[in-house]
Amino acid sequence: MIRKVVLYMIPVLHTEKLCKSFSNGAVQQHVIKNLDLEIMEGDFTVIMGASGSGKSTLLYALSGMDKPTLGKVFFGDTEIQDYTNDQLAVFRRKNCGFVFQSIYLLENQNVLDNVLTGAFAVQKNSPALIKRVKELLAKVGLDEAMQKKYPNQLSGGEAQRVGIVRAVINEPKILFADEPTGSLNSASGRDVLDIFTGVHENGQSIVMVTHDIKTALRGTRVIYLRDGKVVGEHRMAKYGEDDLKERREKLTGFLDEMGW
Amino acid sequence: MKIFRLSLFNLKRNKREAAAIVFLTLVTTFLMATFAVSITQIDSAFDRAFEETGCADFILLFQADKYRDIYRDILEEEYNVTDVRESSVLYGAGASALSKQGESIAYNMIFVDENTERKMENFQKLNAFPDDEIEKLSHPIWLPQYFEITAGYAPGETFTFVSGGRDYPFTIAGFYNTGLYNSSSMLKCIVSDDDMVLLSAVYEEYRLIAFDTEKKFSYEEYYEKCFAKSNENVLSAVIPLDKDTEKLVETAYLAVFLYMSVFFSIVTMISALFLILHKISKDIEEQMVQIGVLEALGYTSRALSLSYICEYILTGGVGAVIGGITAAAFSPVMDTLTRGMMNRDVHTDVNILRILIVVIATIALVTLFALSRAARVKKLPPVVAFRKGIKTHHFGKNILPLEKMRHSINIRLAFKGIGNDLRSNIGMGICMIAAGVAIMFSVYTFDFFKSGYNGLIGVLGMETPDINIIMMNGVNGEKFCDEIRKFPEVEKVLLTRAMGDYVEIKGCNQSAAVFSYADFSLTDNLRLKAGRFPEYDNEIMISARREKTENRHIGDSIIIKGDVCEKSYIITGIVTAMNNNGISVYMTEDGYRRIRPNDRPNAVEITLKNEEDRPAFTDKLTALYGASAKDTTYAQTVQGSLEERIRAKADEKMAVLISQYGVTDVDYAIRIGDTVISGNSSRFVIKEISSMKDFLKSQMASIAVVTKTFSFCAVIFIAVVVAVILGIIAVSAVKRQRREFGIMKSMGYTSRELMTQLTLRVLPVTIVSSCIAAVLSVWVQRAFWMAAFGVQIPESLPLMIGTTAALVLYCLIVTYISAGSIRKISVTELMTE
Repeated sequence: MIRKVVLYMIPVLHTEKLCKSFSNGAVQQHVIKNLDLEIMEGDFTVIMGASGSGKSTLLYALSGMDKPTLGKVFFGDTEIQDYTNDQLAVFRRKNCGFVFQSIYLLENQNVLDNVLTGAFAVQKNSPALIKRVKELLAKVGLDEAMQKKYPNQLSGGEAQRVGIVRAVINEPKILFADEPTGSLNSASGRDVLDIFTGVHENGQSIVMVTHDIKTALRGTRVIYLRDGKVVGEHRMAKYGEDDLKERREKLTGFLDEMGW
Repeated sequence: MKIFRLSLFNLKRNKREAAAIVFLTLVTTFLMATFAVSITQIDSAFDRAFEETGCADFILLFQADKYRDIYRDILEEEYNVTDVRESSVLYGAGASALSKQGESIAYNMIFVDENTERKMENFQKLNAFPDDEIEKLSHPIWLPQYFEITAGYAPGETFTFVSGGRDYPFTIAGFYNTGLYNSSSMLKCIVSDDDMVLLSAVYEEYRLIAFDTEKKFSYEEYYEKCFAKSNENVLSAVIPLDKDTEKLVETAYLAVFLYMSVFFSIVTMISALFLILHKISKDIEEQMVQIGVLEALGYTSRALSLSYICEYILTGGVGAVIGGITAAAFSPVMDTLTRGMMNRDVHTDVNILRILIVVIATIALVTLFALSRAARVKKLPPVVAFRKGIKTHHFGKNILPLEKMRHSINIRLAFKGIGNDLRSNIGMGICMIAAGVAIMFSVYTFDFFKSGYNGLIGVLGMETPDINIIMMNGVNGEKFCDEIRKFPEVEKVLLTRAMGDYVEIKGCNQSAAVFSYADFSLTDNLRLKAGRFPEYDNEIMISARREKTENRHIGDSIIIKGDVCEKSYIITGIVTAMNNNGISVYMTEDGYRRIRPNDRPNAVEITLKNEEDRPAFTDKLTALYGASAKDTTYAQTVQGSLEERIRAKADEKMAVLISQYGVTDVDYAIRIGDTVISGNSSRFVIKEISSMKDFLKSQMASIAVVTKTFSFCAVIFIAVVVAVILGIIAVSAVKRQRREFGIMKSMGYTSRELMTQLTLRVLPVTIVSSCIAAVLSVWVQRAFWMAAFGVQIPESLPLMIGTTAALVLYCLIVTYISAGSIRKISVTELMTE
């Protein structure tokens, strides 16, 4: 128990004066402004904010999907903002896992191969790895028969579960998720969130963007973004360790305070 | 209008692909139209020259001493020829001359005076000195246009013949238009009457018979009639020429190049059609949802199909029209090229109709192919289109499952990708095979000609010694050869017969040039295609062309007709032989004597240890064995002591006896007071001395340069076409699989890895098609060489393997570079779409 508390205090990722701007012709749009942020190891950070507040932009800047315009991004002690695209790709495959709202499975590959494509980017083929992939897939409810199916034969929830397994198979330091339940019905969404909770319980650091309160409830830390700045932060116990009703009320209160 | 707008929209979206199709159709139309226009211009250039000069249809050159009046009578009686024109001319087989650069070169030349020229044809002067200037020239010469166009001479320049160590300089009075004798195989020069007398000491006298006939004229039939009436075989004593032969000789290579350009245009056409099919398929696939939306909005599938077809009519049409215009604009350049290759002025009247036909045919072909593929839109009702077509739903077997991957994930993923795009790969394979054949064939050809005409010499099918000597009648050849062998400069001496010796083959209407050696194993330049050299007197070897055209094989019997008898021979070998248009046969000396028992070898071929010694050694031989007897006949030695002058005069008298009366041995003794000056004709061994190498230079050097340049340009051109095809395929694959690559990037695959994957996807198809192309290119090369030169050149396995490997590597590099657009795929943009 003590060990966990210590773990929470180590920042796995932090930014210094992070800025991200987009230019559209002569118009310059500053989406993230001088942002200093720390993501702690083992934390389940939820980024919330109104549409256009820069949630996804922040997620991509943190994860090395995109380069910041200014400022620094430290992954541990390593600065990644000056990496080339290929260096960032190598960095991502070793350190990050991604779950997207649109799922983005490779349509020409079956469930097993979709996960293995991610796995083999980092790990060598071995019976142990194959076994682990299959076990993980089975754990999220995708049995052998399902593993042979192609993405277009899966429901949204099933596909997203594949996406999560693919994201965690390399045991990333941080799992990034961009509205993972956004395109799912409520039942499928709940299943997916349960998986996230399970993964987090195993010590996985997660950064998730959402504008859904039910999803945000799964986190341990909620940061609220407005006009590219963190305007508020709300800490919670691990999901299931406190009273859900009280948890919801506190979060709702926080969000109301933020002008949600 | 709506359809047109949709087409324009697609064109704007895919500018690069549209530009590639315009380029390929442009090149196709240009090459095809150039061929269509030029192929007729070749004929018309000759027909015009024949008409302008009024030259005879046929000319027969008989060795003066073997000519009989009965031969002319046969023409008049049997062929109803009414206007036989007769005259005396001089003929120099491999006549040595100095090139503009002062190098030794040799031509087959006939010399005529102006009267003879006017008998044969209209003496049509072209580029000439002013008449008053010509009158002042001591040795004026009129050269055929060949020397102006190919050799670059100008009026007023000196043209020098060399014989017996003496120079015979002439001043070029001008050039003239001639119907016949303007090809590298035989050239006609017009000299003054005095110079005809001078040159008669150097060159052989021939009787020229020029005639036109309405009746079908066959040389073989005519020779048989001559033999029947004179009981003398004229085959080896006559050199025939006619309009068709002249045309064939001069246009053969040009026609080959034009047909090669057609081959290249077919390659580009295949590429263009493949790109069109590929692009329509991918467009439909990519725009499936859009098609569904448009259909839902009320656009008919027919209208949508038409929008695709319209797009290609536009691109193909633009390319074809520009290609057609370029071909028309290119015709003056083509005239210059054709002029250089045919040695004649060519004026192309641009045949608009032919160009138009090619343009329309190209557009029609493009439309047809576009139509066939665009019809697929009809199979996509809105609901199916919304679901991105049933084909995107994968129910098939998982090819190359990653579970069983052993080595690199990038290789595995690349190979998995191949199966997903099988149809494109097949199309690309066909393109690559066509392009590969063209590129490999061009490389082989370039390699063959890289060291000038040396390659051609290797397939000549005859020896190419440094020095060729024709001996006087009655000279003991063996003894003379033994003497020559003793010189330290000499490497090898072979006794044989002078070129131009022909025999008839029973059952074949084409006579054969015959080569005979006592021992073929001593030859260096006879390359066996199959079998072995003849060793016994009943064995014979034939050329590869004869093998093919007459369907004769090793082990077959062949009957050779001699002067008075015919004998059977067994074919023991097939030799690569380009000489005499590939109609040669080869037999042992003993074998030759079976048909011509009284005919002794009259030629000596000398190979020197060091080719550089040739001029000095030629002078040495001339000094020791006399200049040619005919030359000595007119030598004017008036210097020196009395004895020297007496000996010179005696030489001159002997030379006259030998060269003009057929005397073989002369001894003389002159007493002056107490002194007796004696001598004999042993010094008069050499009748003619020349160099086959010089002759080959005039015959083959320009062919080698043109072919080498053409094949080099072809390699570059096809390489560009291959780059365009692969580039477009790679770019369209990146565009189409942008989402897939984006996902892969998000998983941590680098751009380089994805570029490598895309490159590896084309690897199997490139390797397979390059290997097929390598095999086919050998076949194409064989067919080309057999058709163009009547020979089969040896294939170089290392070159073939090297070219195949280079082609595969080139394809991979081009694909990798073209796949560079993967770098531009932004994961963030993809995710936020």
